[in-house]
Formats: sequence, structure tokens, C-alpha cells
Amino acid sequence: MGASKLMDENEAVARFVDDGDSVYVGYTSAAYGLCQAIVRAGKRDLEAIGGSVGPQGTFLFMGGCANRVRAGYVAAALRPGIVQEMMADGRLRFEDYSNQAIALMLMAGALGIPFIPTRSFLGTDYLRPEFRDHAGGFLGAGKWAEMESPFDGEKVVLLPALRPDVAVLHAQRADEEGNVQVWGHLGDARWAYWAAKKVIVSAEEIVPRDVIAADPGRTVVPGFRVSAVVHMPWGGHPSSLVGYYDYDYAYQARTMSRMTRSQGEWEAFAAEWIHGVRDRAAYIEHYREVFGDAALDALAVNAGPSPIAPVRYGYNSTLRFRME
Amino acid sequence: MSDAEYTLAEMMCVVAAREFPATGVVMAGMGLPMITATLAKMLHAPGIAICTEVGAFDWLPPAELSRAPVGIHDINLNHGSAMVSDMVDALGTLLMGGNVDLGVLSAAQVDRFGNLNTLVLGDYREPERRLGGTGGNTEIACMARRVLTVMPQERRRFVERVDFNTSPGYIDGPGARARAGLGPQGPNAVVSTFGVFAFDTPDGATGSCEMVLERVFPNMDPDIVRLETGWDLRAAANITEVPPPTAEELTLLRRLDPHHFYLTPGRY
Repeated sequence: MGASKLMDENEAVARFVDDGDSVYVGYTSAAYGLCQAIVRAGKRDLEAIGGSVGPQGTFLFMGGCANRVRAGYVAAALRPGIVQEMMADGRLRFEDYSNQAIALMLMAGALGIPFIPTRSFLGTDYLRPEFRDHAGGFLGAGKWAEMESPFDGEKVVLLPALRPDVAVLHAQRADEEGNVQVWGHLGDARWAYWAAKKVIVSAEEIVPRDVIAADPGRTVVPGFRVSAVVHMPWGGHPSSLVGYYDYDYAYQARTMSRMTRSQGEWEAFAAEWIHGVRDRAAYIEHYREVFGDAALDALAVNAGPSPIAPVRYGYNSTLRFRME
Repeated sequence: MSDAEYTLAEMMCVVAAREFPATGVVMAGMGLPMITATLAKMLHAPGIAICTEVGAFDWLPPAELSRAPVGIHDINLNHGSAMVSDMVDALGTLLMGGNVDLGVLSAAQVDRFGNLNTLVLGDYREPERRLGGTGGNTEIACMARRVLTVMPQERRRFVERVDFNTSPGYIDGPGARARAGLGPQGPNAVVSTFGVFAFDTPDGATGSCEMVLERVFPNMDPDIVRLETGWDLRAAANITEVPPPTAEELTLLRRLDPHHFYLTPGRY
């Protein structure tokens, strides 16, 4: 067995997130607990990356941690408020892609190739040069290129490979070595696990390697690619996690819906739910104090399938090579 | 509200659900497209295979389904799917690989050629307002063999030319898709809160490629539709009226939206 990479989220962020890093922040595996640890640690000059960057990315923008975003969808940009102002005045520079483009760029990064061709963006205004080289951006001509295929002359868009300095992801389970198992629809997480130079995973459960090895088809990344593993029940809250808990819309409406309206609203939220708690366990403890155990319990999954037929990864251990 | 009463938003979803073909691979976007696809699958088009960009393939809504998926990554899409995988499989292999028969989309703006805008209102470089972004909308518009667009009818949304074309319909007329390197597409349709629109082309190669008013909702005056359209809207020679929602359609639709994520009361 390899060395244990188990540590708490504050240590993981201190050791593996550096100022200036580009950070994949997850989508279906949105790493809320890890992103809050990044805000608590006061990291600076980060770039947030994701097909769709949800409220966990908003924490990084409002917390002064990230000043760049590369995404197909930015939840915080949808509502008038500070993040829209930051995008307008240059405090948050942005490059608009699409979910598919980000996933392909991560895939190219993981494959070790310099770019990947796609039909994405053909026929759209994204490709207009004045929009590519926009003042709010940070990639310029490095954003993409157009060409005709040397093989059949078809038009394609070339997207540059993306290798985030670090990826933060939340998963159902992992072992201490960092072998990570995830199930359910995966969004762009699969390729982020392989593209990022450093990978920090928080997991609902830490299990023995035997549990991983008994069902290796569910492993999305082997431990040797993972830098740190954090045991973090409720690490995706207030987002959802397949098999564990569903969205906490009530909490979001109560505590987060106004956090981009003003600096004061943000600071009140952050003081209570980010800086006011030392880690995710304390966050959940605080949640129970404020909203009660029943509110948390009500988020638990209570519908949906589990395997009915057992899966066996069997083989024959006494294989014969010649007829007796 | 009795079953006989309904909102225009409810009518939009009901009518959009009726527009689905009996079979084929459907990729439904976030929001109105997903609830209409769910309604279609459960009522009119059990043969379609609903897929999402996040990685759910051939989703069969369970009979006891308590809500249509809220957001495209709602974890209830893992209940009833034949396969769950990732975005490169869904948007890449499935969609870009040419396997999607119908894309269902919504947007902030649509224009006379069926182009959509999900990104920004005003000039991109100095916007009046930014929106969330395109998500998977762009590639679905690029690659699906047909597109059904579902969105509320307002003059600021039905515009002569989208402020930013994130998702190509017929771009600027016949032949434009081919010139851009895209395949043919059609027959496409738009369902709004007022009626149903077709396009004057089977595939984007011939005809004017313009959006044409084809049917209106009960008691809807076509002139009202024109008033809430930002260009000189063409209409079919014989505009027909769409039958009102049935009790079955309304009951199921309301069951699918218990928290009013899709159909805010009094909004339309």
C-alpha cells in the first residue's frame, strides 16, 4: 500500500494551492468545502476553471481569491451585482467558452496533445476576432484558432490544451492513497482528474483499499495521480451528491442568494459560513445549530436505484494451456 | 386555478411537448427544454431517448417521478437512465459524433433566422447585461439534426438579430450553415407563450430560412404576436389555433414542477 495522503482541508490547500494557480473547481463534483478552505486561506491571483462554474466559484471571486475565469457558464454572471461589475471593470477577467469546449480542452491536456479540433463555435459570433481579443479577456490569440482540416478541408476550431495547476473535486469515496471512486453522471470531472497537475479530493467516505479494489471499474483516478485526500462528509453541500444528498435550495435562498449584491452582504455570509468555521465539520455543526438536525436530515437521498444484480470481476486462477 | 384555467407558460410547455417526434435521440438543455422533454416522454413520445450534456443517456422518468429535473445536473437523472457517463461522452461522442436527432433549447434571445443568444445583452465588449453563458447550448445548435426552441414571447427576446449569436440556427439565410462548416438542420420550430413558429426551409439550404408564424394559442390574435416580435413577422396563409391543454397534460405538468422552478405563477 502506498503512503497515506489523508489530511484536513486546510493543510491540503496550504500545501497544494499556490497563489497564481489555475484551479478547476468542479461541476457535478463541486468542491464546496475545498473552495471555502481556499477562501479561508486567503489565496490570491487564482484562475477559476470549469465547464459551468457555480456558486463555489462565486466564493473565489467575492473572496478576492480569483481574478480570472475560463468557463462555459458562470452562475454569478447571471445576476446583477458585484461579479457583473467585476467583469465589466476588469477586476475579474474572463474567457467565454462552452461546457463542451472546457471538457475537450481538459481532455487534450490529459492526453498530452497541444490542442484539439472541434466543430464547436462554427457559425457563431464567438469566432469574430474583435470578440476573441476583447479587453476583458486574458488569452487573446491563445484562446483558439480556426483552420481547415489538412485531410478533407473541413472547417474546424482548434482549442488549446488545458492543464490546470490544481483541481479540487468532491467524490463519494476514496482510500487513503487517493484512489477515487465516483458514480452517477460526471460532467467534466473525469478529464479534470487527469489534466490537472495537482489533484485535491474531498470524499464523503474514506474506505479501505480492499473496498476500492473489489469494484475497480468505478475508480475514476488512481491514487498515484492524487496529491491530497480529505475526509469530508457533506463536502458538496449545498450542492448535491449522487447517493448521498440533494440540493439545499432552502439554505441557498436563505444565506447565499444575496451574497453578490454588495460587499457587505458577502462579508456577512463569509464571516458566518467560511471564516467563522475552521473546517467543514464545524460548518455542518453550525448548520445544525442554526437550522436544526431535521433540516440537514431532510436533504438525504430517499429515492433512486442501487445495483440489483451483483457484479463480479472474476477470472480463472488455474488456467490451462494444454489439454491433459 | 381549475384545470380549465392555465397560464401561457403552461400552454407553452404543453404545446412544446406535443411537438416532439415519436422516436429519436433527444438532447434537452437546462430549464424549459428539460420539463417539456419530460412531459413529452411521459405523455406523447415514449419512444424518444432523452439525453443530457452532463452525461445521462436514455433517461426513462420513473412513474413516481416527483419533479422534472431542476437544472441539467439534477441527480434525479441518475434514476431511470440506461447509461450515465461524462460530458465528453455526451456532448462529444453522442452529439458531435452526429447521433442527436433533436436538440431542445431555450435562450434569452432568438432572431428571425432562429439563432440564439445565451451570453450577453448589448455589445459583447460593453454589455448592457451579461447572462450566465452558453453551457451546452452552442454545440447542440451546431450539431443536432433538428432544433426545437422553447421560450417566452417578448419583443426584447424575439429580435431581428441576436445581440450575440451563441447558437447558430440558419445564421443569415440560405446556405449560411454550410458556409460556416455546419451540417443541414431542420425542420426546426419555436414554441413561445403565444404560438408555434416554423422556418421557411427544410434544412437551411433553400427557402428564405425565416421564422414564420404557423399556429397560435386559443384566442390569441396574430397581431399581438407581431407586436411582441421585433421584426416584420411573416405568417402562414392559414394560421390555425392550437387546441388548449387537456386535463391530463396540465395535471402532469403541474406535478412535474412542484416548486415552481419553471412556471412561476403570474409571470406570463
